Amino acid sequence: MLKTVFEIAQAVQNGTLTAVQAVTDSLQKIKELNTQINAFVEVWPEEALARAAEIDARRARGEKLGPLAGVPIGIKDNILYKGHKATCCSKMLANYVAPYNSTVVEKLLAADAVLVGRTNMDEFAMGSSNQTSVYGPAHNPVNFDRVPGGSSGGSAAAVAAGMVPAALGTDTGGSVRQPASFCGVVGIKPGYGRISRYGIVAFSSGADQVGVLASDVKGAALMLEVLCGRDVNDSTSLEAQVPAFSKNFTANICGLKVGMPKGFLDDLGEEVKVKILAAAEKLKSLGAELIDIEVPHAKYSAPCYYIITSAEASSNLARFDGIRYGYGDKTATNLNDYYEFSRAPFGPEVKKRIIIGATALKAENYEVCYLQALKVRELIKQDFAKAFEKVDVILTPTSPTTAFALGAHADNPLAVYLADLYTCQGNIGGLAGISVPCGTDKEGLPVGLQLYGPILQEEKILNAAYHFEKAL
Amino acid sequence: MILEKDNVQKCAAMTKIRLNAGEIDMYNKELKDLFRWVEELSQVDTSAVPETSIQHAAYLRPDTPVTNGPLAESLVTAFNEQEGHCAKVKKVL
Repeated sequence: MLKTVFEIAQAVQNGTLTAVQAVTDSLQKIKELNTQINAFVEVWPEEALARAAEIDARRARGEKLGPLAGVPIGIKDNILYKGHKATCCSKMLANYVAPYNSTVVEKLLAADAVLVGRTNMDEFAMGSSNQTSVYGPAHNPVNFDRVPGGSSGGSAAAVAAGMVPAALGTDTGGSVRQPASFCGVVGIKPGYGRISRYGIVAFSSGADQVGVLASDVKGAALMLEVLCGRDVNDSTSLEAQVPAFSKNFTANICGLKVGMPKGFLDDLGEEVKVKILAAAEKLKSLGAELIDIEVPHAKYSAPCYYIITSAEASSNLARFDGIRYGYGDKTATNLNDYYEFSRAPFGPEVKKRIIIGATALKAENYEVCYLQALKVRELIKQDFAKAFEKVDVILTPTSPTTAFALGAHADNPLAVYLADLYTCQGNIGGLAGISVPCGTDKEGLPVGLQLYGPILQEEKILNAAYHFEKAL
Repeated sequence: MILEKDNVQKCAAMTKIRLNAGEIDMYNKELKDLFRWVEELSQVDTSAVPETSIQHAAYLRPDTPVTNGPLAESLVTAFNEQEGHCAKVKKVL
């Protein structure tokens, strides 16, 4: 059975594998493992097989197939696919059916990919363990008692379990890269604006970004090539050329300047620290130059992130009032009760973020809380811009720990928020970031290495990750 | 301190979220910890960051008083019958 995006697409294009076979293999794997892993919350077998048969028929007629020909792909449950449910794994949207295609779905379909189902996630993408899903948690394929990370935990678990070679996720504070790290797959979040957000259910419009989880770097690069580009339906998408990421890998990384932020390993557990330092040495042995850098305000990224994204979430989620969107409660007898009953289906984490956001935006808190966070974000951005004058990429761990046990940290949510420190820097700074596996801890749980690059320079991090992956 | 003792309930009400007693206790504790942590941001010297460099949306803040807008009165008076500030109609469909 073929495992990577590239292998499957090439084999379908040259006729050594049918799209029907590729999709059948994927569906079989889902059938075998999904009961235990809960990576998919819905699978579309008949539709996927029919589409695969169409792709095979087109090949038989001599038609040229797209770059993702026959590749089975999972999409996170907050991405709209016309005629299919998109629930954000929330009771609030339990019966919501997408009325149109998101741009990313349009692009995948145009590239001849086959969408096989929607994947589990933290409710409204708020969480980093996939435990806030109304469908129950997804489990880490490496160890079923561990979380897969989140919020795109289902997508990461699906790829790690070999159900699909790639899946779409979204990343607002690390929701692609952290689950990639926990499950031992590749996860990339391009710079803000690289991929259209049209048709993605908004959490925090200034930080949300679609990302890719894939079984290898080359597959992630090919997916990115298909997905990036300006979209008239998303005014924040960038007008910039999209390089052929999957074809532009250089022969080596000699001379690549890798930034090592001062103090970034200080609070790290010993096992992760050892793996990250070994990864840095590996890059050095491949010809890269390790350079100490300073990003003094980066340590404030996590509090900054929680204020800004919660403020945006409290505004974005106001639309779920039972009138325009969401659950409409018919038992209310006055307008206020109607709103309050209709917003009751939000889970505890979502309610909490909405309340945090509303508190930060209140008149008496606005300047000291929200505006101050925006100003600190500006300083963080300046730090990174200055650092990228000296280096090509910046190296950090993806997460300070490996996958934790299901149910852990339930009484200490702040500990979970703090664990986002390394990933949310990328969203606050608008950077491109990739997580690539760099080994395992004593329990066999994967550790992820994160590489950051400046916006519109995803090639640099893909190239470094590609060579690192090959050498590991 | 950003979050005063009884503010969780007030903030939740602004966002049309009704909390039960258990939730109020839980959020009070969690949010106090969170805002204590967030107060780290106030230690950062941001005096060099000009207001103009910050992109921030002009949010309708949750505590902004709700008004019916400048046209409400003229709209209501355009109807044949009124009751208080409301227009009277034959039937609500």
